[in-house]
Amino acid sequence: MNVTLAAAGSASSPALSDAAMRRVFDSPVEDRLATALTTIAEAAPTRTAVVRNAGTDKPTAIDYGTLAARLVDLEQQLDEARPIGVVARTDQVESLIVLTAACSRQHVPLAILADDAADSGHELDDWLSVDDTLSIPFTAAGSMPRGEFATVAPTIWVATSGTSGPPKIVDHSWESLLAAARLSSQWHSLTWLLVYDAKRWAGIQVWVQAMLTGGCVVVPASRDPDVVARAVVDRQVTVLPATPTLMRRLLTSADPAVLATCQLERITLGGEAVDGPLLDQIKETFPNAGVSHVYATTELGEVFRVRDGLPGFPAHWLTKPLPGGARLFTRRDGELLVQLSRDTAEVATGDLVEQRGDRFEFVGRRSDVIVVGGAKVYPKRVEEVVRGVPGIAEARVHSVASPITGELVAVDVVVSPGFSPDDVRSGMLTHCRHELESHAVPRIVTFVEQIATTPAGKVPRR
Amino acid sequence: MPANLHDTIATAIRSVLSDTGRSADVIGAESLLSGDLGLDSLDLAQTIVLLERSLGVDPFRTRPADGSRPSLRTFGDLCSAYEVAAAPPDPHQP
Repeated sequence: MNVTLAAAGSASSPALSDAAMRRVFDSPVEDRLATALTTIAEAAPTRTAVVRNAGTDKPTAIDYGTLAARLVDLEQQLDEARPIGVVARTDQVESLIVLTAACSRQHVPLAILADDAADSGHELDDWLSVDDTLSIPFTAAGSMPRGEFATVAPTIWVATSGTSGPPKIVDHSWESLLAAARLSSQWHSLTWLLVYDAKRWAGIQVWVQAMLTGGCVVVPASRDPDVVARAVVDRQVTVLPATPTLMRRLLTSADPAVLATCQLERITLGGEAVDGPLLDQIKETFPNAGVSHVYATTELGEVFRVRDGLPGFPAHWLTKPLPGGARLFTRRDGELLVQLSRDTAEVATGDLVEQRGDRFEFVGRRSDVIVVGGAKVYPKRVEEVVRGVPGIAEARVHSVASPITGELVAVDVVVSPGFSPDDVRSGMLTHCRHELESHAVPRIVTFVEQIATTPAGKVPRR
Repeated sequence: MPANLHDTIATAIRSVLSDTGRSADVIGAESLLSGDLGLDSLDLAQTIVLLERSLGVDPFRTRPADGSRPSLRTFGDLCSAYEVAAAPPDPHQP
């Protein structure tokens, strides 16, 4: 039963027994999510699994008992209907969790398509669409081709975030979906903020991780920094996974008094390059939080995680395999290549790195480059310079088409309260001319209320 | 109307110049964009982008069918390009 909470509640619960967690982690990978829901529901049926509409006066909490009950029902329906595949058309994360758990244990292929995912093509035509009601229409089931309970674990299809092209659908094994989940006891029973889209890879990682470890997923009502900050405080969120762009927005725009009461223990950044100034700002605002940044792509999964509080990664990581066995290489032009294992090919990541001292730092994506009269400009570098100007709260550097030079560097700027746009503009131009070559200096300056972001929470460059 | 166009374009040029603390006393039809006004290719590109935002046209976006490029030596050249681009289509042209 769904419970609407009138007052802020704590999601902390007694620790789950070792035996219970053992049962979850020892289960076959495709059963694991379902086993987690069932096991935790047996031990603690009223433990909150998901909170939706957090950060408002009317959050909605769903407990593990509810999820487990819906799971039983759905697995029964899947077993009767035996669809050859299911397309998730759910809007609520708790439905998606139950659907994913049910399909994986029932060995039914599942496609999780974010709302802007490209046309799935004909291969999904015979698949069954399931929405938040988690019900399989009797007539639809009857007319669909029936699959067998395959002995081989099924695949799961997830759409990429599309920053390097239009979104495409990539298939994964359940093994790879669950591979990055951290199962040691320090990760049990935590409260996770979900600002990522629950249907994209980054978001899926968050709710899978939370459910496997008896945690709680908190979904803020919107990405408005004040709503997010309030959700973190109200629900006592302990883990905050976010992109650098979303993090910056929270740090610059949310009420500092509210931020000061957040009790975050861990902050995990990913999806975009992290720079030193951002890490410093985080340490200042959340001094007790451990900060790590993850380098991952939808195709490769998680490649590495940096926990030392510095941007980029240590240069010596190029000299030997990473703990998981992957190897890193760089091309002469600075592109990072990843070889997941000895028998796979090196994958060009499209990300450029530059050695600075004993570290390699991310300079930006190769596709982000702006070409001004033949000269290359990396927007990330220009943003770092622009953010150093007093009065600039946030900035996004992008390109505009220009008939004479091909492209020009443009910047959208959010002015801090108390500063005048004219002063900020001239201060910024002076500073940029001092720090950057002339073709890299932004020529088109637009003042905005808020920086545009993609659905995945990243900054677009075109 | 030519007079307004002239002013709009001159204003855009002055705005670009002032970004770097420069200015121009006189902007006339014969003023050389580079030699007299000190505009380099980036300055010119910036001016054209600004004018596209205020006038809604960019005379340099597409090349004419005969492959010619509009001459861009003087301020007068720049104004002519915009006059042509901003003019209504000729009903007698195919």
